[in-house]
Amino acid sequence: MYKEKTIPVMIKDIKKETEFVKRFTLASVDGKPLPKFSGGAHISTYIEDGDLLVRQYSLTSSPDNTKHYQIGVRLSDSSRGGSRYWHQNMKVGDKLHISYPKNHFPLSFKAKHHVFYAAGIGITPFLSMMNELHSRGTSFELHYASKTEEACAFYEFLQEHYPIQCRFYFSNKKKRIHVSSLEEHPIGTHVYFCGPESFITDLTESASQLGYPASSVHMERFTPLQPKEVKAFMVLLKDGTLIEVTKEQTLLETLLNNGIKAPYSCRVGRCGTCELQVLEGEITHYDSFLSEEQKQSQSRILTCVSRAKSAMLSLDI
Amino acid sequence: MKWTDNLENFPYPFKGSTYRYSNNSVPMKKPFCIEVTPDYLEEMKLKRDLLTHHPERCYQSLPHTLTGQWEIVELVMDHLAEQYPNQFSLEKKGRQWRFHNKILEEKHDFTFGDETTLPDEPLAFISKHVQEDLIFMMQRDGDLFLDAGQLCFPANWSLAFNLGMKFKSIHHPIPGFKEEGLDDRILQFLMRLEAGNPWERKNWSLMAGDRLDTSLETFDQWGKLRKQVTKKNAGELVHIRVEVQKLFRLPRTNGILFTIHTHLLSLEKLASNPEWLKQFYEILSELPPHITDYKGISLYKNEVLEYLCEQLESGKVL
Repeated sequence: MYKEKTIPVMIKDIKKETEFVKRFTLASVDGKPLPKFSGGAHISTYIEDGDLLVRQYSLTSSPDNTKHYQIGVRLSDSSRGGSRYWHQNMKVGDKLHISYPKNHFPLSFKAKHHVFYAAGIGITPFLSMMNELHSRGTSFELHYASKTEEACAFYEFLQEHYPIQCRFYFSNKKKRIHVSSLEEHPIGTHVYFCGPESFITDLTESASQLGYPASSVHMERFTPLQPKEVKAFMVLLKDGTLIEVTKEQTLLETLLNNGIKAPYSCRVGRCGTCELQVLEGEITHYDSFLSEEQKQSQSRILTCVSRAKSAMLSLDI
Repeated sequence: MKWTDNLENFPYPFKGSTYRYSNNSVPMKKPFCIEVTPDYLEEMKLKRDLLTHHPERCYQSLPHTLTGQWEIVELVMDHLAEQYPNQFSLEKKGRQWRFHNKILEEKHDFTFGDETTLPDEPLAFISKHVQEDLIFMMQRDGDLFLDAGQLCFPANWSLAFNLGMKFKSIHHPIPGFKEEGLDDRILQFLMRLEAGNPWERKNWSLMAGDRLDTSLETFDQWGKLRKQVTKKNAGELVHIRVEVQKLFRLPRTNGILFTIHTHLLSLEKLASNPEWLKQFYEILSELPPHITDYKGISLYKNEVLEYLCEQLESGKVL
């Protein structure tokens, strides 16, 4: 079974960015340098709180800083334990494990100009991306929407470091990011979207209508695409065992709870590690890993997010 | 000098009684990207000679790879010093580094990140201290490209030709690779490689002769030996060539370091292990023509099988 290696770290500092966002500084427990990372990278954090809470957070510090990592965590209204634990329980000196840095949201190499669109806590992956572009001397701009100036995480940092590149849109001042902004970028621009689902969908659709090549449009979702209507289904394993995946659980969770050593890593439908062969049954795919062709073939499933469309799936495990 | 491993250290590549192309990668148990073997001194001398006299053939890099090259320098030096503390040491004082290769009795003081303080480009420099060939693949805009490499011991391919090419284009000549969908699957596997979780695999072929530097450019010099294989000389002349390939995600550039350590063993020595002899005979007998052709075995496969069969009969292990 694939189980990723982790790094033991300690909380060095906690700063309140805004009412709902805290910035945590992490350092390795043994004092060894942390790995460098690339712009847009994130880590998985592992917290033992009765259950194991695994969450992904973008690294907001400088990619070359090997002494500390920083992450920004927003207290989510619908927290299933992750951000609530970070906000209410985490103290300076606490220890936890983190993954090595990973990057599912890399900067384009061929882009002539980079434009970032952030809403709310969607700002976090762009901080390391801007750092990288700035040190390379590459041109970029940021369009950042927030409810108010006070609720705008990293506002002062951005004003100080990238005053020319940043434009802020505060809805209490009746300013909003309008999709027509996409019309103003020169040919060769790559655009990057991070924020709530509707924000990403609106911008992505407009970019497509304006004729942006799909390869010039990049996005990162906070959460995987959510099934609109979740229903329970049965899975048949190779040894003939039949188990039920309830509405409340993912296929992966069900497999693991039943003692089956199913592979997994990211748990958000990005890395592809949990892919299993489907021998029979129809799948509804919710991942961002398989290609359209692979999805249509209906022969493999990412168990961490995808579910059955038919009443039963027969799996090769 | 014979480039032949001893039996105990030889990375024997086979499982089962048949062989097909596959992604046979496994997570590494000991996550080191290099290995120092008893052939170190001889292989370093050969490698450095080749790099001096045939630089275009053995070293290529694109200008945007410098950050990645430094990442490779750091990874390789860290691993050398950590795994072989009696042979190598590394002192870091901020960006001022001292690397000591005690086997070759060489000390290098340099400033990390500053190419002007090294005698060569970073990748070329560090490659002169390890037996492995070092290939740097950059992940750019959703694909993998061979953007820099030091390659002295290729199994019949050309670094200069492949520079800047995409993963799939590089592997296009492998028969069945595309048709079986292996190119997509392995590309996807590589793109999802994660830092801290390196993988390794073994690749094999047969060759007539015992040259490590079998580049495409020098085929005229070594390819003709294939015609000289007989049942009588196969044990001595024909070698099994195994590449131990390791894959590391480099977190700073999000690129991939691919290291290749090539091992050669004569059939004679392989045959001295009765289990290996039997298994290899079965595998080679069953090997389909598209694989024997690509691996360059077709011309002397029958001679080798006759030789192996004779060994089996003499040892009565059939």
